[in-house]
Amino acid sequence: MIKLEHVNKSYFLGDEEVKAVRDISLTIEEKEFIGILGSSGSGKSTLMHIIGLLEQPTSGKVILEGYDVAKLTDAELSKIRNKTVGFVFQSFNLINRFTVMENVLLPTKYSKDPISFNAGQRAEDLLGKFGILERKNFFPNKISGGQQQRVAIARALIMQPKIILADEPTGNLDSKTGDEIIAILKNLNKDFGVTVILVTHEHNIAAKTKRQIYIKDGEVVEKYL
Amino acid sequence: MKIQNGYIHLAKVALEDFKRNKVRTALTSLGIMIGVLSVVLLIALGLGLKNYIEGQFENMGANLIMILPGSGFTGEGGASFGGQGTVGGVSFDERDVSLLQRVSEIDYVVPVFMKGVAVEAGGEKKVASVMGMNEDGFKLMNIEAANGELFNKSDVQSGVKIAVLGNTIATDLFGSAEKSVGKTIRFEDARFKIIGVAKKKGDREADNGIFVPYKTTYGSLNPDKTFWAIYLGVKSDDMVTVAKTKAEGALLKRYDEEDFAVTEQAELLNTINQIFSIINSVLIAIGSISLVVGGIGIMNIMFATVTERTKEIGIRRAVGATQNDILKQFLTESVLLSLFGGILGLLLAIGIIMIVRIFFPASINIFAVLISLIVSSAIGIFFGVFPARRAAKLPPIEAIRYE
Repeated sequence: MIKLEHVNKSYFLGDEEVKAVRDISLTIEEKEFIGILGSSGSGKSTLMHIIGLLEQPTSGKVILEGYDVAKLTDAELSKIRNKTVGFVFQSFNLINRFTVMENVLLPTKYSKDPISFNAGQRAEDLLGKFGILERKNFFPNKISGGQQQRVAIARALIMQPKIILADEPTGNLDSKTGDEIIAILKNLNKDFGVTVILVTHEHNIAAKTKRQIYIKDGEVVEKYL
Repeated sequence: MKIQNGYIHLAKVALEDFKRNKVRTALTSLGIMIGVLSVVLLIALGLGLKNYIEGQFENMGANLIMILPGSGFTGEGGASFGGQGTVGGVSFDERDVSLLQRVSEIDYVVPVFMKGVAVEAGGEKKVASVMGMNEDGFKLMNIEAANGELFNKSDVQSGVKIAVLGNTIATDLFGSAEKSVGKTIRFEDARFKIIGVAKKKGDREADNGIFVPYKTTYGSLNPDKTFWAIYLGVKSDDMVTVAKTKAEGALLKRYDEEDFAVTEQAELLNTINQIFSIINSVLIAIGSISLVVGGIGIMNIMFATVTERTKEIGIRRAVGATQNDILKQFLTESVLLSLFGGILGLLLAIGIIMIVRIFFPASINIFAVLISLIVSSAIGIFFGVFPARRAAKLPPIEAIRYE
């Protein structure tokens, strides 16, 4: 369902060209739980942004849900981000002036189709499942990091996406809280068949996924050293 | 339902932002407020002035045509009502009056004789102008009796020595309008019985006038039996042009073209209207400068807001906001900001106009209200579009990483 063919991405830092992603081809099947492992600066985050349609590759082809991403308009890309993909970031990326509940409901404001479920109820169910329902009227800076990340996961799930992209979701958390977050992601994959792509630099976290891809200097390598 | 929901979300986000930045919101709106205030006030004062002057002219009657000697109002001194027909050209006489009476579009013909005289009454002396005319002259100048009565047709024909006084001169000479009726005034060695006093008109010329039947002036006042001007009342507005042409035709039988001038009230009104529309445009242009400055203030703040919320824009883009959604969000904010200032400015302007009205006939109309609201929204859109476009065009990933 996600297919990358010879994808390259380069930036210019001043006059210098930085190749963040070099000729990566890979296929991720539906309902996979996959880890993308690489050190800082390896290009793994850029790869995730390309998969999540937040960035376009410099060259190569990205096929998502059968669509050639390069041919989609801003509105179509936005719709896929809204309905099909859910993001979880290292720094949570919640909007601090909105309450927990408002943050979770944010994606529903951008749905161009009528929403077929009761959004408020669903948001409460998700918060309840993650044990933070009593925090629903709090602002993000008044709750702990682990709780913020749970809010972010609830936000990623509100539109019932097929794919969750998690970029270092445990990076700002202690190991116990981190493990809880990974357990949540694992259960999503196991119980609900959501494709989970987990980007990390930690071997022990990646080890919890079913398949691992190693990235070094923007390329896929056989074995991460 | 969905669309409505979206706009409610946009407005709610904008209002929450205003609440958090109260001082900034107030200061930014202040610019638009002052702009709208000055535009609305200037329009109101301009309109008031125009209405005032038009009102003064309408005192003279709307369907008025004036026939004056010489080149009329374009001639030097010709516009003075105190003149005696000595500005060159001809002096009109009763034959002209009867010629003009044959024009079917003309309702009435009023010969006007004018002379400055020294008036004596009850020991008081005063300089005033005597106006010899017929009974239709009162109709033409919208003069009504406050006390006593006005002279009528048979009074005019008989040439009896009676007079109607303007309200001011009556008060000056006898202490009040009521007391004047039945008294006698003297000028040019003749005595005139006062049969009535006119209602106050607010027009200095009329309020200080002494109106007598024109035939009464024949003699020492007006030995040549001539008139300074002839005023015509036309039957209806749409006949004014025809009546003017016919009147000219009638007089050309006796005089040369340069000896007299036929002027209609409407022409004068047109000229005045033209002058005032220019004055109004200039006033609006001056007021608009402050609106533009206010708009630039909004643009400035919106750029700051976009920078401040770069990360939020990235987050919204990641969860599915299109470029268009972001554009709308910031436009909503700048339009609300601008409209808020516009409404405040309008309310303040209405308040000020209410006070000014006590002294001056300033007027506000629905047009000025609508225009100020439309203009302030338009300014919000125009000056909001650049910051909003910048927000919409931000690459999502760069925005989300912005700290």
